[in-house]
Amino acid sequence: MRKSLEGDQLAYANLLRETARLLRPFLSKRLSFESEIDDLLQEILISIHKARHTYDGKRPYTPWVYAIAKFRLQDYLRAHYADQLRHSVELSELENILHEDVTESTLSYESISGEIQKLPEKQAVILQLIHQEGYTAKEVAAKLGMNESAVKVAAHRAYKVLRKKLEQS
Amino acid sequence: MNDINQLVEMLATDATPVRPAASPFMLSFKLMAAATAYLAVSLAISGLRPDLMEKLHTSWFAAEIALLILIFASTSISIALLGFPDLHQNPGATYAPVAVFMVFLAVIFFAWNADTPPAPLPMHSFQCTLGIMMVSILPAIWTFYALRQYASTHQRLAGSIALLSSFSVGALWLRLHELNDSVIHLIQWHYLPMLVFGIIGIGLGKILLKW
Repeated sequence: MRKSLEGDQLAYANLLRETARLLRPFLSKRLSFESEIDDLLQEILISIHKARHTYDGKRPYTPWVYAIAKFRLQDYLRAHYADQLRHSVELSELENILHEDVTESTLSYESISGEIQKLPEKQAVILQLIHQEGYTAKEVAAKLGMNESAVKVAAHRAYKVLRKKLEQS
Repeated sequence: MNDINQLVEMLATDATPVRPAASPFMLSFKLMAAATAYLAVSLAISGLRPDLMEKLHTSWFAAEIALLILIFASTSISIALLGFPDLHQNPGATYAPVAVFMVFLAVIFFAWNADTPPAPLPMHSFQCTLGIMMVSILPAIWTFYALRQYASTHQRLAGSIALLSSFSVGALWLRLHELNDSVIHLIQWHYLPMLVFGIIGIGLGKILLKW
């Protein structure tokens, strides 16, 4: 890093590559998708670049890098959850839907099983139990140790994602 | 991965020599020196309270002034450390103002208990808060400006400490200028507003210290 601060571009490129290698496992433990990890890693590298004047050569490099990485990760997660909250379904909105029978669908499970496997694990299992094995929402709830409403909400969310995907395709 | 490599190449090309930021101790020294000069000028313009020398011999007043100076010094050091992403690997000193502030609150509490019979309430009220605010604006501006040259990863805390530090300058100025010893008045119009501004600093830090 000291060489980089003096303008040694090769040393700086090597340092950034090593930093990316160092941080990838740290981010992999906290994020699920490779694309998210790549995006955040890029953001962290840009932050390191912007803040490089605050690195004190007399102190270890890794705590400095991890401080920036944690900061950007927190920012990312905060934005991510805020976004999820914005797009979440209001319980009051669900009141009408909950009366409907969520086990009814005009599409067969088999025709969209590929898309279903791409859903979060819990949602995929719920749809599989309901549509392939013929369980009711109540039975699924008992089987998975959830309450019935939570199963219906998860199924509804899964339908929403599937509907969007099918409309796009 | 290709994107990462491209970015690394791009950043490396942009890597011109950089002057390392001043050490936190130098930054805190600069902040303290500037505030001391500013306080001296403010007091020279507004004037010292006439009984200052006499009051400095009373233990609670002397303790209060000493602790206000300590709050200012510890917050200045804390601000300088908070400018660094890793707190310059010195988290202990960063959180020192919290301990000093606790001692300060204890001193105010004991001074309140010792205030028997209570000193008369002054005729004015919110004017003190306004006065402290006016004097604190300039230190707040230069503190935030100095912090923006760094890269804080604790923006909310940095904002809060920056405002506490600036307001400690204002509070110190008024305490050395105003002829008033009512502890209730001090709590209500000097120190509670200082705390409120510390809380406002949390939001301000988030907005102003983005990088």
